[in-house]
Amino acid sequence: MISVKKVDNRPLNWLERIYLPEIARGLAVTLRHFFVNLFNPKGMPTVQYPEQQLELPHAAKTRTRHRLKLRADNSPKCVACFMCQTACPAYCIRIEAAEYPDNAVEKYPAVFDIDLARCVMCGMCVEACPEDAIAMDTLEIPGGEQDRARLKLTKEDLLRNLPGEPSVVGAANRLANEYLKSKGGA
Amino acid sequence: MPKLTIDGKTLEVAKGTTVLEAAQQLGVHVPRYCYHPKLSVSGNCRMCLVEVEKSPKLLTACSTEAAEGMVVHTATEKVKAARRDVLEYLLLNHPLDCPVCDQAGECGLQDYYMEHSRAKSRFPAEDKVRRQKRRPLGPHLVLDNERCILCTRCVRFCAEVTKTAELEVMERGDRSFIDLKEGRALDNGYSLNIADVCPVGAWTSRDFRFKQRVWFLKKTPTVCLGCATGCLTEVHHNEGAIYRVMPRPNAETNTWLCDAGRMVYKAVQAGDRLAKGVIKNGLIELEPALRETASRIDENHAAAAVLGSPWLSVEDNAALARLAKDALKTENFSFDFNAEQGIKDGILINKDPAPNAAGARRVKAACGGLSFGELAAKVASGAVKVLVTEARAAALLKNELKAGGARLIVFAANRSEIPQGAYATLPYANYFETPGTFVNFQGLERRTVPAVAAPEGVRPLWAMVNRLAVYSGTSLHLDSAEAALKGIL
Repeated sequence: MISVKKVDNRPLNWLERIYLPEIARGLAVTLRHFFVNLFNPKGMPTVQYPEQQLELPHAAKTRTRHRLKLRADNSPKCVACFMCQTACPAYCIRIEAAEYPDNAVEKYPAVFDIDLARCVMCGMCVEACPEDAIAMDTLEIPGGEQDRARLKLTKEDLLRNLPGEPSVVGAANRLANEYLKSKGGA
Repeated sequence: MPKLTIDGKTLEVAKGTTVLEAAQQLGVHVPRYCYHPKLSVSGNCRMCLVEVEKSPKLLTACSTEAAEGMVVHTATEKVKAARRDVLEYLLLNHPLDCPVCDQAGECGLQDYYMEHSRAKSRFPAEDKVRRQKRRPLGPHLVLDNERCILCTRCVRFCAEVTKTAELEVMERGDRSFIDLKEGRALDNGYSLNIADVCPVGAWTSRDFRFKQRVWFLKKTPTVCLGCATGCLTEVHHNEGAIYRVMPRPNAETNTWLCDAGRMVYKAVQAGDRLAKGVIKNGLIELEPALRETASRIDENHAAAAVLGSPWLSVEDNAALARLAKDALKTENFSFDFNAEQGIKDGILINKDPAPNAAGARRVKAACGGLSFGELAAKVASGAVKVLVTEARAAALLKNELKAGGARLIVFAANRSEIPQGAYATLPYANYFETPGTFVNFQGLERRTVPAVAAPEGVRPLWAMVNRLAVYSGTSLHLDSAEAALKGIL
């Protein structure tokens, strides 16, 4: 169903038709804002991104800069399954897998790069992750760099836990937790 | 010739055909794990259960012989329920390793689960039977007993194909697992086929391990150049890098592929790959190298010789023949290679390690030339001053070259191939990078298909020969591989 709204366009009166008074009225609005902001800059709603950033409310359901979660021994939860790379529509994730010599989980990412210059912040990587290893909940809005290279996040940039973690969701975590237990860890 | 009906379609099959094979002829896929067309029937996985009229229970299609008047149903509710239940049983103790497992993407369990079950596991993860994971067995394989569904394809492969019987099912019941027999090693030369026949991720290749997820791989059908058997293979590659070589089963030569044949691709990506010319021991740019080589050949125009190579394709051998006949105008050329051919070990590996001796002989039949012995005698006597050949073929004349002191000009793809004392070496694109025709020991013509691009500036050998001829003042008009082949095949 298409809803139709009838607009009753009133014809312009004589004052409006001679144009100049309306120009003056518009300029008055602009000038009022200009002088109010000039003498009271704190009242301005504009945020000077990226120098200034708003703190997002903690419960914000927004997709923000990625992070890779950590296990209790500070190893990445990621097992380099390439699901996020496969799901990524922007081809911004690059992973290289490597093998742990002793850990029960066997596989980990030696390289995990996210090119934020390419990322479209769609969150498919988070959806695809079977290990609950990648999240977009840092509440940081990336961008605003002068150099594309600085938008490339490496594994080291990404590894970060939020307070109250590590979480234990994910298929390989059974093995990881067993391994940690055998080492006398958490 | 029994006549049977499968899913309403009637067909006549040869006596001894199983119901599963008969269904396959009709294009009906019966799911299976333990059945393999080239291995004996085991009937242990129960995945291929089908309903046969007048039979009180479901029957395994892989082990039931087709009989006259049999009426088979492969998609009834009863069969579907059986498949679901068998899958639940097989997945009971299967670990949730898919994110880590190399088989993911080409795994029988994943595929049939999505197709036939999609049921949630009723078995708590903590109660799953735990087994040894990640056991390196033999030079090429890793075994994960937890992922194994005990279909025994690997056991039967070792017992029936390689006849080495290293593997066995140990223990009984839910304690059973696949293991090496005591004191044995899994190094039978065909061991990587075990990773292929394994329908799950229990056996995985150590060479391929964690390199690439299988769904990224592109597949190019080509030919193995490991020996004169000339098996059909499939190169799996992505973004210009080859990751593995798999067999392409065919009735003429091979179902399997030997471990050595699977490793041939390594030379393509090796660090010593030649992209420039080599004069004596120094790398120089391709153009000066070609000019230098051409002037060395011109110096001894009358005493130059060309030796073909059983490692080169028919096209490239033909180009060398054209170089000898049309550019050098010499009679001193040979494409005569008579190494003994035939299957050495009863499976695949050939007595002749060179892939194309038969192809070189076809060039000889078309262009003539000396026999190998006559050329060797001329080289040894010093009558030949410059010899143009391929690096590995030059090794066949090692002693004669030492005796005669001829200047050696070779084509080589890798630096390690260059024989000692070679004066000039020119690079060429090998057969993972350029098409080439090979004739195997049975006389079957097989064409390689390029899977990856050659290093920058490197051209096929026939094109290099063409350039070489241009530098010495003759045009051979070799504009394509087909031009080189003209009048030969």
